[in-house]
Amino acid sequence: MTTGIELRDLRKRYEGHGGAGSWAVDGVDMQIGRGQFVTLLGPSGCGKTTTLRMIAGFEVPTSGQILRDGVDITDQPVTDREMRMVFQDFALFPNMTVAENVAFGLKTRRMKGRFGAAEMRRRVGEYLDLVHLGTHADKRPHQLSGGQKQRVSLARALITDPDVVLFDEPLGSLDAHLRKVMQIELIRLHRELNKTFIYVTHDQDEAMAMSDAIAVMNGGKVQQFGTPREIYDRPTSRYVAGFIGHAHIVEASVVESGASGLSVRLGNGEVVRLDAPASLQRGEAVGLMLRAEDLSLAKPGDGELHGKVSDSLYRGEYIEYVVDLKGGAGTVHVHEPTHAAPFAHGDDVALKVNPAKAHVVGGA
Amino acid sequence: MLLWLLPPVAWFSVFILVPYAMLFWYSLGHTEDMRFVPGLSLANFARVFTDEPYLGVILKSARIGLMTAILSAIVAWPLAFVIAFHTRSASVKFALYLLVIVPWWASYLVKAYAWKTILGTNGILNATLQGLGFTDEPVRLFLYNEFSVVLTLTYIFTPFAVLSIYAQLERIPTSLVEAAKNLGAGGWEIFWRIVLPISVPGIIAGGIITFSLAFGDFVAPVLVGGSDSVMISNIVINLLGVAFDWPMAAAIGLVIITLGLGLISLTGWLEEKTKVRL
Repeated sequence: MTTGIELRDLRKRYEGHGGAGSWAVDGVDMQIGRGQFVTLLGPSGCGKTTTLRMIAGFEVPTSGQILRDGVDITDQPVTDREMRMVFQDFALFPNMTVAENVAFGLKTRRMKGRFGAAEMRRRVGEYLDLVHLGTHADKRPHQLSGGQKQRVSLARALITDPDVVLFDEPLGSLDAHLRKVMQIELIRLHRELNKTFIYVTHDQDEAMAMSDAIAVMNGGKVQQFGTPREIYDRPTSRYVAGFIGHAHIVEASVVESGASGLSVRLGNGEVVRLDAPASLQRGEAVGLMLRAEDLSLAKPGDGELHGKVSDSLYRGEYIEYVVDLKGGAGTVHVHEPTHAAPFAHGDDVALKVNPAKAHVVGGA
Repeated sequence: MLLWLLPPVAWFSVFILVPYAMLFWYSLGHTEDMRFVPGLSLANFARVFTDEPYLGVILKSARIGLMTAILSAIVAWPLAFVIAFHTRSASVKFALYLLVIVPWWASYLVKAYAWKTILGTNGILNATLQGLGFTDEPVRLFLYNEFSVVLTLTYIFTPFAVLSIYAQLERIPTSLVEAAKNLGAGGWEIFWRIVLPISVPGIIAGGIITFSLAFGDFVAPVLVGGSDSVMISNIVINLLGVAFDWPMAAAIGLVIITLGLGLISLTGWLEEKTKVRL
């Protein structure tokens, strides 16, 4: 028996007018181990929120199964699931104080008798302290800032001690600074509480920073499921390579492939060597993924690729060069430290590729 | 710039200030041989509270108004709830909304009269009851009493309650209900602890409107009310048109207006207190 949440060929179809319809979720298989922090990442409309809402029980799957610790919960009503959700709009009850909001989950009919009044008060205090809101217990939600509201929502979700906590873009309505603060807060809570966190976001930085594993979704399907490092360094598809870290993909064909590494030739005849072992057919078309931080600029002749600087953008931490590769083979971006800025618009340059980091993705 | 102020000031003066001043002027006088005699006496106001039937009828009108307000709220709430929460399609929502308003396209009199044909001894209700064998002879309890007045007024004014409750319910985000379910709350708990409390200002707002309209009504008591169902507006009409006692009518009018203003301030305050910021 597997512990945690398992999704088996989960699908959800929304019917439109006149028989038109679309698959919001189109066959998702996933294993989320107990205590893991898993993020469903993708652009809007990719099916990530629908998947989360099916796990929560708000949406009924068209087909497929949801299992929890090996038990099928596909048809279990929302109220019985005891998975708590943190909503993007916080969903705090406006007619209750902060403390009453937090206590809500303890006071439902099904919880009756499980907690005495004193125990309840102690617990509410404890969870308000956990999210640093101990002094705001008697305020109303509208008197709180966005970040504070989300902390109340968190305390309300955590107080009943659920195994699984679901997050639907919880930081989406906060400003950039607050998002960073809350990310650290969420990582801390996950570490301290040892609960399964299933998190939905379209923000890849958020996903990379917090998750044990990321499911990159698109078109209702999981494109890749892996650790942030796997997804970033070894994307299995052009979609994932392009979505994560905005890698640039240059068309190439395999020259040589084996246990000791891989060589590919670009459209302009230049050849790049990669360290990663591969078993690809000679002549097979691949996409060469080149990330800005894996490239460096040099004088013509000092690198394996050549091109012309078409733009340079000062980014503060680094200078971003946009380089058009020789012979129209493609465009790449290169990050260079700001102290060395020897190149300007129109300069001919060479590019060195870090063979340990460059990566190919299959198919044309 | 001052030109912009002219229309509102003119409106306010001609239609509010001057009429009320006149009303007050009339209320201070008295009549001799059905002719108005100016004066500066508060005797008419004293009579409102001492002479029968004035105070009694005002209280009865208030009771009818209150019952109408309560009944309207009870009828309106579930309807508003269904329109706000259980109607997914926008066109169905619009259709239901329209059905609530549509009766207002028909004349008030027609609607009040319709109840006569429903509740009367030869009415639809009695015909149905006799047809089904529940009773041998027509039941006279349905018509010409306070019950029929309240029923008719409830029917006529419920749309106002529906609209104000709906306006409040519609503002509740679905995520609140989802959050409550997610936290393990059942349907009744969500109703009692979240949806109903948040809708209270809408219930109060609808209540003020239905109460005021029902309190001042004079058609329903005439058409479906019994001989004892006279309401305060009927008395005022009689004073004006039959007895030609305009000073007394003016005094009653002013007392009612003052009571009304007091009530509106009180409920306005209540509404503010129960308001939740969504």
